[in-house]
Amino acid sequence: VLVFTRRRGEAIIIGDGIEIRVLRVGRDGVRIGVVAPPSLPVHRQEIHAQICEANRAAANPASRAALEARLKGIVP
Amino acid sequence: MTNPLAAASTEHDLSAEHAEDPGTDRETVSFPFGLPGFEDCRGFVVIAADQAPFQWLSSIDGPSATFLTVDPRRIMPTFRYVLGPQDLDRLGATAASPLLWLAVVRLEESGAIVANLRAPIVINPETMIGHQVMPQNCLYPLRHVIVPGAEG
Repeated sequence: VLVFTRRRGEAIIIGDGIEIRVLRVGRDGVRIGVVAPPSLPVHRQEIHAQICEANRAAANPASRAALEARLKGIVP
Repeated sequence: MTNPLAAASTEHDLSAEHAEDPGTDRETVSFPFGLPGFEDCRGFVVIAADQAPFQWLSSIDGPSATFLTVDPRRIMPTFRYVLGPQDLDRLGATAASPLLWLAVVRLEESGAIVANLRAPIVINPETMIGHQVMPQNCLYPLRHVIVPGAEG
């Protein structure tokens, strides 16, 4: 892990075209601005983790087989 | 160009079964970023499930992964989601493009069938590109109950 000390208004550049800037530092939060190419998805980590978890649960083969069986009982 | 039909027949029983169905669409949809948790799955096919209006989204490229999905509007008629310019750009779409929307459905231990309306999958049939989109301020739940579980 790379660790940097940044002050308000300072930034980090990653590769070609990704900039992460500290906009504001509060007591228990930091406001960050991200500039990235439009083709790159940028998300809050915890939201991304929730979607990963939901997708994994959905694709679990045993769970999916049970889901299909349950659906057959509901939708003719 | 992969032959999705050939791939499907070696996939798993479900795809093989549906591969016989002349009404199914077996064209490959490219997911440049895969799906969250399934980043290596870059190609999927959409296959109508026996139980309408559900559809299977099945990977034919990379690790095997199959999802049961449904158009969010079929389970929430008021569902409305405006894609941002970046999402549209990634899909090669404009605001006027007709797009295919799919919410991933899962079964919970209680027996409840729930859909993820928070991060729908969007496919542009014109470019055959798909993405699972995650809005910054989404009003729709990650867990939308379609069928309640045993304990109601």
